[in-house]
Amino acid sequence: MQAQEESDWGPLSDLPGNPLIWVLILGELVVFAAFFGVYGIARAGEREVFDASQQLLDPLMGGINTMVLLSSGLFAALAIEARARGALRTCRRWLLAAMALGLVFCIVKVYEYVDKFGQGLTLETNTFFTFYYLLTGFHFAHVIFGLGLLGLVVWRTSMANVETATAFWHMVDLIWVILYPLIYLLR
Amino acid sequence: MAHDLPGERKLLLTWGVLMGLTLVSLVGGQVVGEGRAEPLAWWSVALVLGATYYKARQILMVYLNLRASTPGWKGLLRAFLVLTLGLILGGYLLAVLA
Repeated sequence: MQAQEESDWGPLSDLPGNPLIWVLILGELVVFAAFFGVYGIARAGEREVFDASQQLLDPLMGGINTMVLLSSGLFAALAIEARARGALRTCRRWLLAAMALGLVFCIVKVYEYVDKFGQGLTLETNTFFTFYYLLTGFHFAHVIFGLGLLGLVVWRTSMANVETATAFWHMVDLIWVILYPLIYLLR
Repeated sequence: MAHDLPGERKLLLTWGVLMGLTLVSLVGGQVVGEGRAEPLAWWSVALVLGATYYKARQILMVYLNLRASTPGWKGLLRAFLVLTLGLILGGYLLAVLA
């Protein structure tokens, strides 16, 4: 019966976690890729504005946040390993550690937003900052949603639940890894 | 999906590689020093995008454990990565040539 239910999802059954989360993940990846393409076209039209505005960001802080999120991803992956060998308490500890680093990411990002707003750099300053706030803000919303999912599976720690929540969390990781060089580094 | 997990040792090794590649990105992106205000040299752009590709690939294959999935999914997500980074490189080149 269980095998029949799994096979009903077709190719999505070959992916870790609930197949429905993969519909969301694949959709989100396509949406972000489209945003990245539009950003490139906008930058080509206003290169000086984009390059000058990018100088006002702190790429080192963005790099540190990348390391924080990648470490959080490690903890999420370790939670699956623990769950697979039946170590529920260890799994929950790894999930909480992943959430803690996710919160650190959020705190750094909020600090960055407050700093930029303090300098009068808002969504309406120029096209670069419109993209900066929209792209990083959209990603930030995914981090918050991911933290909520991780919080839920700390409570309901089945293997399928842990795989589902951590798959989403790794997608959040993946998007940031591509977003960071685009916004902070390439000039 | 069968739980053919990567194991703690491989995960820790991958994390080390990801940290190292992030440092490579920081060096390639010249985030400190006099080069900070200058456009990136071609080797820097290649370094940053190369490190980004490899990091994203490691997240997909090891953290997300797609290495245990079918060749179709692995191929599709690798192709997606190449397409996304191609879009970014295309946009970058467009700005250089504009």
